[in-house]
Formats: sequence, C-alpha cells, structure tokens
Amino acid sequence: MINIFKVTLASISLLAAVASAAPGKLQEEKELELVDFKSVKKVLQQDGLSQSVKLQEKKVEAMKKEKATVETSRYLYPTQDELWGFISEYWLVKNAQLLQWDFQKPDYGLEKSFGSILESMGFYQKKFKILLLNNPSIVRASLPGSEGEVILLLSVPFIRSLDLSKLEISLLLLEDFFRLEQGYFKKAVETEKLRTLPGTNFQGAKPDFSLIQEVVKNYDKEINEKGFTFQQQFEVTKKMDSFLKSNPELWNAYFRLLGKIDRMVKTNHQYKDYIRLFPSPEMQVKWLSPPEKVL
Amino acid sequence: MRALMLIFLSFSAFAETGATDEKLVGVFYFRPLLGHVHQSAVRESASLTTIQCAHPIKVYESSKVSTDPNWAYVEVADHRGFILKEYLSEKRPDCFQGRYPKFYDSLNLDLAELYYWGRLYDQYIQGNTRVH
Repeated sequence: MINIFKVTLASISLLAAVASAAPGKLQEEKELELVDFKSVKKVLQQDGLSQSVKLQEKKVEAMKKEKATVETSRYLYPTQDELWGFISEYWLVKNAQLLQWDFQKPDYGLEKSFGSILESMGFYQKKFKILLLNNPSIVRASLPGSEGEVILLLSVPFIRSLDLSKLEISLLLLEDFFRLEQGYFKKAVETEKLRTLPGTNFQGAKPDFSLIQEVVKNYDKEINEKGFTFQQQFEVTKKMDSFLKSNPELWNAYFRLLGKIDRMVKTNHQYKDYIRLFPSPEMQVKWLSPPEKVL
Repeated sequence: MRALMLIFLSFSAFAETGATDEKLVGVFYFRPLLGHVHQSAVRESASLTTIQCAHPIKVYESSKVSTDPNWAYVEVADHRGFILKEYLSEKRPDCFQGRYPKFYDSLNLDLAELYYWGRLYDQYIQGNTRVH
C-alpha cells in the first residue's frame, strides 16, 4: 500500500513538473527526465513496473527518431520532376506582364480539339495546359510540367494574323508537343545544379536558389533568343509527317498551315524573329514536299 | 401594440427565410498551388483574396445566388465569392508547399507573384487525354 502511495506521489509530482519543463521535447521524454527512476527502482521492481519503464523508454526513442525524420524531410529540395513544373510556372509568373497571359481570351474549344488530336495519334493519359498570350512578340513555346504534363503557350495575335482555324491551332500545338517530347528544351536549359540538387537535403544551410535562377535565365534565352536549330526543326517536321500521314486531312491541313506561316513571316514585320527561333517554315514545306522528278 | 406585433412577425419571417435559404454543402480544400476567390463566377473576374493549396473552404448553396454549374459559391474568412469546382477537393490535398515547406518559404514570393500564380490557374486551358 505504501509502495503504491509512493508511486502515485511520484506521478503527481511528475505531472506538476511536466508543465514547466523545457519546450521542444516530447511529452513522454519530459516525463522520463523528470522521474528519478533509480531512486524508486526497488519499488518499481517489486510492482513489476520496471518493464513498463523500459517499454516507455523504447517508445520515446522511436518517437524521437520519427520526429527527427519528419524535421529533416522539411528541408528537402523538390524532386527533379516536380521542379520542372515549378520552374516553368515560376517563369510564367515572373514574365506575366511581358507575356500578357492574364486577359479575357476567346474560347477556341482547344481543350477538346487538341485532346482529340492527341488521342487520334495514340497519345493517351497525357495532361496538357494551354496558355494563350496577348503578345505578338512571343509566338509559341512548350514548357515542361510535372508528372509528364506539358505547358503550351500560343500567341492570340499570331492566331488572328493567320486567321487560324481550331484544327490549325491544334496542329501548331501538336508540333510544340512533339518538340517538347524530343527533349530539346530540357536539354538546352538544364544546369548542373538541376541535375544534382533535386531530392537532396539542405538542413543546416540556406537553400541554393541559383538552382532556379540559372534555369529561369536559360528559359529566357531559349524562348526569346536561341530557339531551335535546323536539325531539330527537321526532326520535328518529319515526326509530324510520319504521325499525320495516316490521316490525309490532317496532313494537308498541316502542309497548308506551314505555307500560311511562311508567307506571313516573310511579309509581316511583326514576326521577323519567328524564322530565327523556328527555322524555317519555308524549309519545313520543302522537307514535306515530295521530291521533284527529274525527266 | 398590433402594429408592433406585425413588425415583429415580419422580422421573424425574414430571419427564417434568410436562415433556411442558405445551406452549407461542406468544407472542401483548395487543390492548386495558389488561387483566388472570385467576385463573380468568371475566370477573369476580380480577386477577393488569394488562397494557397489546402486552404479550407466552406461551400454554400443559396437560392439567392445562381451560378454556373462549374463554379462553387464559397466562404473564405470574411469573403463570399466563387471558385471553380475542379479546384476543390473533399480531402486535404498533398500540396507542394506541404511537401517542401522550407524550400517554398525560403522563396519569399511577393504579393504580386502570389497574385499572378493564382491567376495562372484561372487562365490555363487544362485537359487530358483518355486512358486507352
């Protein structure tokens, strides 16, 4: 009876002291610290409570480990896949005023139209985001998203200048979709840090944001200055050719579309940079044209 | 006295209509990284407030508010407005901010960036192809 009284007394004093114990520690940990188990060892042994103390100690140890793991995970860099989508959107946000995508846009029905073209080509379970721009100087681009998603940008003034149909817009988007699938853009903008840092932990240090800044700079260069090479354009055009060949209606629409773009970029000064970034509609038409027969 | 009684009755009738007219559908969570509570059920409409992923949102049904079926009539803090239903989830979503809190916080996005990031999700035309 006296033993039980002693243990109860110890528990009461423990509860009173726990409230004022050091913060940041587990409740169970504080309890263990506050009871001098050595002084009541005999009592505990007699009552068979030493076993439960050991169990409690193990439990606290496991909880401490778990807490440390959770805390460490808070300092992780995102995975590379998640970073691609994040950086693309960060670039879009940083360039919101320049790109002018925040405006009331016409409803071209692209969600269905482009979706059905992708499906007709056999691309299933593909996620896409289309962002229309109210800016003639940045005509088109395709950016990597997360989880295999693609972000396609297209200028509404460009669509209007060419008076493009829903089908023609979808074909332009398909070409950009292929361009991204080929991996040219990712390869051009990727940095050493983007290859090595994602998924690692920066606990105890500041996160290295040059990881993002460098890639964002590369986005600017690639989209506004460098564009694509003739070789890359040739490969994309040939890919379009092979995918559209089974559907003459789509193939003809694509061929006519390239002709339209070729004529417009040669005559409309507003789109003089287009040929530099996407060389060149004229060559694309030639690559698709059947070889001339020499008699 | 009679007039007083009449006024009291009309007030209580009004209160009852107000109370039964509006129904709380439930508490939902915001899914995209960032977004807006809109003044009206239109993507381009003005923003009442910017919200982050996993923000709890009370969704109401009200006979006084007729809205597009794609939009939900919501309450966030002291704002009443509209959010696209496709951006609401019954379960708390696994957000980028939640997975990488220290990385996201250290970015220190300013108000304009938070605003535009929310607008981005209003302006996207999103789609996905079927499962074969």
